Amino acid sequence: MNIVELLSVAWQGILSNRLRSALTVLGILIGIASVITLIGIGEGAKQEAEKQVQSLGVNLIYIRPGQVSSMGISMGQGNAPTLTYDDAVAIRENCPAVKEVAAQYSQSFQVQYGEKNTMTQVNATEPNYPDIRNFYADRGRFFTKRELDDAARVCIIGDTVANDLIGEGNPVGKQLLIRGELFDVIGVMEKKGMTQGMDMDDQIFIPLSTGYATLFGLNQVTGKTVRNILAQSKDGEDWQAQFQITNLLRLRHNIQNPEEDDFMVRTQVDIMQTAQSITGVFSLLLGATAGISLLVGGIGIMNIMLVSVTERTREIGVRKALGAKHNQILAQFVIEAVLISMTGGILGILLGVSGSHFISNIAEWPTVVTPISIILSVCVSLAIGLFFGIYPAKKAAMLDPIVALRSE
Amino acid sequence: MSNVIELKDVWRIYNEGAEEPVYALQGVSISIRHGEYSAIVGTSGSGKSTLMNIIGCLDRPTRGTYMLDGIDIENRSDDELATIRNKTVGFVFQQFNLLGSMSALKNVMLPLVYAGIPGKERKIRAELALKEVGLENRMHHRPNELSGGQQQRVAIARAIVNKPSILLADEPTGALDSTTASEIMDLFGRLVKEGMTVILVTHDPETASRANRIIKVRDGKILEDIAMGTVS
Ligand SMILES: Nc1ncnc2c1ncn2[C@@H]1O[C@H](COP(=O)(O)OP(=O)(O)OP(=O)(O)O)[C@@H](O)[C@H]1O
Ligand SMILES: [Mg+2]
Repeated sequence: MNIVELLSVAWQGILSNRLRSALTVLGILIGIASVITLIGIGEGAKQEAEKQVQSLGVNLIYIRPGQVSSMGISMGQGNAPTLTYDDAVAIRENCPAVKEVAAQYSQSFQVQYGEKNTMTQVNATEPNYPDIRNFYADRGRFFTKRELDDAARVCIIGDTVANDLIGEGNPVGKQLLIRGELFDVIGVMEKKGMTQGMDMDDQIFIPLSTGYATLFGLNQVTGKTVRNILAQSKDGEDWQAQFQITNLLRLRHNIQNPEEDDFMVRTQVDIMQTAQSITGVFSLLLGATAGISLLVGGIGIMNIMLVSVTERTREIGVRKALGAKHNQILAQFVIEAVLISMTGGILGILLGVSGSHFISNIAEWPTVVTPISIILSVCVSLAIGLFFGIYPAKKAAMLDPIVALRSE
Repeated sequence: MSNVIELKDVWRIYNEGAEEPVYALQGVSISIRHGEYSAIVGTSGSGKSTLMNIIGCLDRPTRGTYMLDGIDIENRSDDELATIRNKTVGFVFQQFNLLGSMSALKNVMLPLVYAGIPGKERKIRAELALKEVGLENRMHHRPNELSGGQQQRVAIARAIVNKPSILLADEPTGALDSTTASEIMDLFGRLVKEGMTVILVTHDPETASRANRIIKVRDGKILEDIAMGTVS
């Protein structure tokens, strides 16, 4: 008996109880489809997170006030006024691995243009901000060093702000009021969308000096505090830059014990790793959920095969009486189980792939179906068929022909 | 001629060790020569089918020895017995044992599947066997679309399709009218002439009288063993 023969015998077995076979196929189908879809969602989330981290800028280093515990989990990151503009200047002057530095101070204000007004984030920073964040003005221009030195009343507005306040027409050259202070719009930022949970298009950029002079005021104790400092390391020197900045700030802030750091220095790699560990857990949970549904499908196969063996005991007896050997009966039932699980698997892959596309389109959630997850699904459904089919098949193959023939 | 079948003090005890063991065969000894045509007769429950199962290698004796073609069955593996059932012995079951999900033709082809005979030849041979039992125009019907006698003839076709050297038939004419029964007996007669060893179980004295040897069984023992001269 060759494999074609065995396949056809097994296929006849499947056809002889179509409804039951179809329901069993459905069990595996749902399992595999959810594996493909859920892994696709997890993978999509992962790639999206990576993309967002990449979009933060190139060789970016974030310095912000707050504390980091020894295990690397942020405890209290906050707005404690521990970082100053002088820290930013010191980093620029004393850290050789650092290429660019831009300090930032941001706060929400009422912004008014003609009749319309809106609440938005005003981000006071330095002229090299666009290069560090890889985020540029696409109409007009960003402010210059000179405008920073002069504390000029100029602003560059985000795309959302431009649409909300000014609507049609070119915003460049218009004037608007930020907390009652008059500013010239000299540029509009390119559209960037959400990054790290923040709408990058819903903000206004002004020179840091202008911010201190007109909007924020100075801190009594420490002088010009900043919300955070963005630094850009030289290529491939992010660890060195992180090290130099950390040491410099400890020195400037008189900190001996690293556990008492009142600032955090995080490279893009750190941020990426955090994002990956979060999405990793997410993927794992989704995968486990899908795995359970596959297990249920597998048990379904075993259940049906056991019922089938019991029901077809007489058939097995007849086959044995007519000369079927142990392994031929074993193969018949194992192949039957594998055919069922593989049919379910392949249909499940089709459903899973289209389900992923559907979710991408409807929920606008990125899903990524990797070839790995398809190959894995094929292997898993094969394995399920073998694993859950072998026990019932063994039971069938070991039946005594005389006993089997007498069963009804 | 040599003995194809040789049973020595064969016992078959069902449920041995349980509360009510059934002594279906109690020390049966028979020798059957090659080409012999024997009929086993006896009352219901006397152990005829049990004896046939053992001769047909479907079952093994609880005690005693059974030599088939000079080889002790006890030393053969289950798979070797499967090969014997496939190639050496043709079995017509008292309950036919046809597979309900398959056509008559497919049922008759089944032994050839396990004999490894290619599909085309399988079909030709199965058709030929069905013709021998007069069922050439019922080949594509399923057993439940056939009368009892037709089912019995499918079972006979299936037993002879692989050209076994031994044919065992348990009540092969039980469901047949006298004309068809007589046709089947003629077929058996032809098979014996061609050299087949035929053993059949029957209640019908007319049928038994066609054989050249009658073995009477009662309560799992051989009561009488009568040789009848030449084949009729
Ligand atoms: N699997 C079994 N388990 C227990 N007892 C059995 C089994 N098979 C047969 N018997 C018993 O063994 C005895 C012989 O049965 P067997 O089927 O050989 O009789 P038989 O001569 O063929 O009868 P019939 O003419 O009715 O077909 C009977 O008493 C029967 O009840
Ligand atoms: Mg009987």
